Amino acid sequence: MDGLLRKEMEMEMKTLWLAGSRRHKGSLAGIFVLILLLSVTILTVLTVWQNAGRYVHDEMERLGFGKITAWVSGVPDIERLTDGIKALPEVERADTQPVIFSEYEVNGQKSDSEGQLVTYEPDKYPYKIFTDDMTGYQTGNARIEQGEIYVSPSLQSMFGVETGDEISFRIARNSVVKSFIVKGWFEDPFMGSSMIGMKSFLICGQDHEEIVRMIAGAGIDALARDGYMVHIFQGDAGLSTAEFNGVLNGGTELLQYAEFTHSDSAIFGFMLTLQNVFTGLLLAFSLILTGVSLIVMGHGISSAMERDMADTGILKTIGFTTKRLQGVQELLFLSPVLWGMVLGSLLAVPAAQAVSRMTLTTTGILLPAGIPKGLCLLAMLTVFLILAGFVYLKTARIEKITPMKAIRRESREREGIRAGERTRLFPVCQQGLGFWMALRQLVTGRLRYMGVCLVAVLLVFFASLIGRISSWLGPDGEGLMDAFNPSDLHIAAQPMGETTIEDVERLIRSYTGITDQYMLAMPGVTVEGVDYTANVITEPERFHMLEGRTCMGADEIVLTEFVAADLNVGIGDTVQVSGGLGTLEYRISGIYQCANDMGANVGLSREGYRKIGRETSNMWCVHYFLEDAGKQAGIMQALDETYGGDVYLHENSWPGLYGILSAMELLMYFMYGIVAVVVLVVISLTGGRLLIMEQKDLGVYKTIGFTSVRLRFSFVLRFGIVSLAGAAAGVALSTLLTDPFVAALLRTFGISNFSSHMTVSNTLLPAMAVVGLSVAFSWLAAGKIKRCRLIGLITE
Amino acid sequence: MKEVLLAAKGLCKQFPQDAGKEQVLKEIDVDIYKGDFTVIMGSSGAGKSTLLYALSGMDSITAGKVFYRGEEISRYKERQMALLRTREFGFVFQQTHLVSSLSLFENVAVAGYLDSGKDTKAVRQQAEELLSRMGVEKAKDRFPSQVSGGEAQRAAIARAVINRPGLLFADEPTGALNKRNTDEVLKLLTGLAESGQSILMVTHDVRAAIRGTRILYLEDGKILDEMSMGVYREVESKEREKKLNDWLSGLSW
Repeated sequence: MDGLLRKEMEMEMKTLWLAGSRRHKGSLAGIFVLILLLSVTILTVLTVWQNAGRYVHDEMERLGFGKITAWVSGVPDIERLTDGIKALPEVERADTQPVIFSEYEVNGQKSDSEGQLVTYEPDKYPYKIFTDDMTGYQTGNARIEQGEIYVSPSLQSMFGVETGDEISFRIARNSVVKSFIVKGWFEDPFMGSSMIGMKSFLICGQDHEEIVRMIAGAGIDALARDGYMVHIFQGDAGLSTAEFNGVLNGGTELLQYAEFTHSDSAIFGFMLTLQNVFTGLLLAFSLILTGVSLIVMGHGISSAMERDMADTGILKTIGFTTKRLQGVQELLFLSPVLWGMVLGSLLAVPAAQAVSRMTLTTTGILLPAGIPKGLCLLAMLTVFLILAGFVYLKTARIEKITPMKAIRRESREREGIRAGERTRLFPVCQQGLGFWMALRQLVTGRLRYMGVCLVAVLLVFFASLIGRISSWLGPDGEGLMDAFNPSDLHIAAQPMGETTIEDVERLIRSYTGITDQYMLAMPGVTVEGVDYTANVITEPERFHMLEGRTCMGADEIVLTEFVAADLNVGIGDTVQVSGGLGTLEYRISGIYQCANDMGANVGLSREGYRKIGRETSNMWCVHYFLEDAGKQAGIMQALDETYGGDVYLHENSWPGLYGILSAMELLMYFMYGIVAVVVLVVISLTGGRLLIMEQKDLGVYKTIGFTSVRLRFSFVLRFGIVSLAGAAAGVALSTLLTDPFVAALLRTFGISNFSSHMTVSNTLLPAMAVVGLSVAFSWLAAGKIKRCRLIGLITE
Repeated sequence: MKEVLLAAKGLCKQFPQDAGKEQVLKEIDVDIYKGDFTVIMGSSGAGKSTLLYALSGMDSITAGKVFYRGEEISRYKERQMALLRTREFGFVFQQTHLVSSLSLFENVAVAGYLDSGKDTKAVRQQAEELLSRMGVEKAKDRFPSQVSGGEAQRAAIARAVINRPGLLFADEPTGALNKRNTDEVLKLLTGLAESGQSILMVTHDVRAAIRGTRILYLEDGKILDEMSMGVYREVESKEREKKLNDWLSGLSW
């Protein structure tokens, strides 16, 4: 008997649920679309974030990247060096991987960082080789013939490299080069990202031996250097990276031969910089979307409950309890949420695959697209619980609806009285009648427009935030250039051989005048036992300072925020700095900006460095400012053609920068697309609801002589005013919050100089886009006004 | 010879949902004269309101033509119809149909503002006067939800006449009112008629119908008969009621 009763009740619930689904299909469809977008975004972002981290970590481990890897050259006896390292009790093991350091040229573009030629030894270092279409990996090992080379896919975004292109490595002066034909692509989890200037190349053993012979044969004319990557694994000592680095430097000859060293966490950070910045931004966007979804759901539920009020009263008279009626409403609104989540989870897989493919040439790695089930389930469960709790709270007022109250529509009457009190401030005037009418309707039904306003606030805030980041980046990435370069420059030249700096300047002056110049060198030093690159400068006042003052004195040093935090020191503290000549104490005079090596660098004046390090003839890179900066590209080309490998040249840019700018552009397009869909959904739902509620008023207006077009304008004007108010608040919010929010995010990547400002494109454009879309979509929604027949007034 | 204000020729109306069934209005030919207080009566479902809305252009017609001051309005575009409603037609409904977000004064004034020939000050003054004439000046700043049905209906009449329409359409204007309010509203309408306002009213209430000067009786979608009466005098109401009832009895009312 109980079972039969339960079954009947279930049928009643099902009947009401189906009826509700038919009646509110518009609202439910809107919620479904939003939850679908939200789920796809969250799951894709989490998949990319989790998989990228896990995959890079696993690959680094698989390919034998130690706790610290040192790039060494000019080592007379590598076994002696590694034996010394292995002899330390803190070291578990040390492996060597032969490499050749050399500059290279591809497609007429010269690299601004050296490349490292790695011998392909699949048994020892099983690098993954991509299939030709780069959608997967080749099974089995690749066969690299002499003259063939495999490169990272990021070279495609950096230099436009395609298979079959030629890459030339400068081995020695007098045009001694070794050229290779690009045979295919390999995945480099250490240096694959376009954020990293230095790139690895896979070649065969014979070519490696040939280059070593060429270097040896070139003698002092050699430009390339043969060396090793020394992967050093820590034992059970449980030391921090800095402590382990200090032990290695103190107990071995490593410092003497190391060109640079990086910890596994630093490389991990370099490789994931792009993914982390973009997933961070997208996760923030997901939060905004969650807020928007709550607003839309709130709107949909209020609207449905208002329409169903009389029915609710009637259902109560026939015996439905509040609990059951609330249950039906919850079921009704959580159904599209569940469907959106299920479909979103299914679509997240191809979305993650697409992201992985699209970012391959920027990140250099093909991210696994498999959804991390635990994390994603947790995220979806959290979102669902938030939405379910919200639906419960919104539907709880069913309890207060008594049958007669519902049938008499008391709430609407009370609302009318309250609205009346509010509207006295806004008289309806003949001049601009449409505007005043719109304003009156807005004030009367302000809660109904609150959703549109809040959505506009959130969307404009985020779009403006992204716009501000984009403005900071600049059309040519000036923001990042400033972040990564310790000081400004137009072009920089570093003679490496017979060419003198006077030759270089003569050529520059044949194009345009040199307005200013200074010198910068980047030797390695250790600070408190930890290896860092030192930016040694002849004019310390040129450093990009963030706090304090620059290191004008010979006993002063400037640190990045990263180093200061790493060493737990601040302005005014002293640190022990070691170079080739010894160790001295330096006082920290300020914090400066240079995101190179994720911020792991320090700044010294020339005088300061001379006290602990030896100047060499070719360590200085001269930085020039040109009279006519527009001739920069031409001068760079001329210098390269004239002096070739004899002079190391670079600009205030790097090839990977354009990949980052493209990714940012893609992110903006994606978000504008989402913004358009969200605005469409919100306006359709709100507009549809208002049109239903105002059907009678619209009819009345028509009977006194309003045309459909005039009513439509008035309707659109309401949305225009509301979205404009929301957009203004969004702009204000982005002005207040962008800098602290984004600066905190970028600081984790060593970029401390983020500061945005308002421009037409970053502020007005997003605001106008949201207002424009609201107006356009409300105009479309208001098309129903024309079809609103006056006969409706008779049937009441 | 009376001037024909509104005329219908062969007017037919069939609702789309009733396709294949009988028409609601069947080839009606009717003239409404200037200065008349014309009343349409008929049994429930006879098509009274349908005829009113078909004549006023509030609803589409299936066949036939409607003329206003000799011009065919049944082919008017929306913009022309809107202008006609602003300047020439006034409407009073059974449910007052005031705009809920506007005060009584604003409900009246907005209709006046639509007539671009008038200046704001004149409209506001006229709205004040009309509301005063209708006896709702004290409630003018209240909203429809804050006043009684009678007050709302009087404001609705003021709104309908603010632009001095050529013809005032009234659909059961007392249908939702109590006796006291009904009397007040009928008095107002009679007053308007006396001042020369042409009125076309639908009602099934004999006490309302006796205010008219011309009664049309509609049955089964056709005008079955009509009766003329003199201008309404309060003292003659009993006689008029009897005369009307007798006439209606002959029509199986």
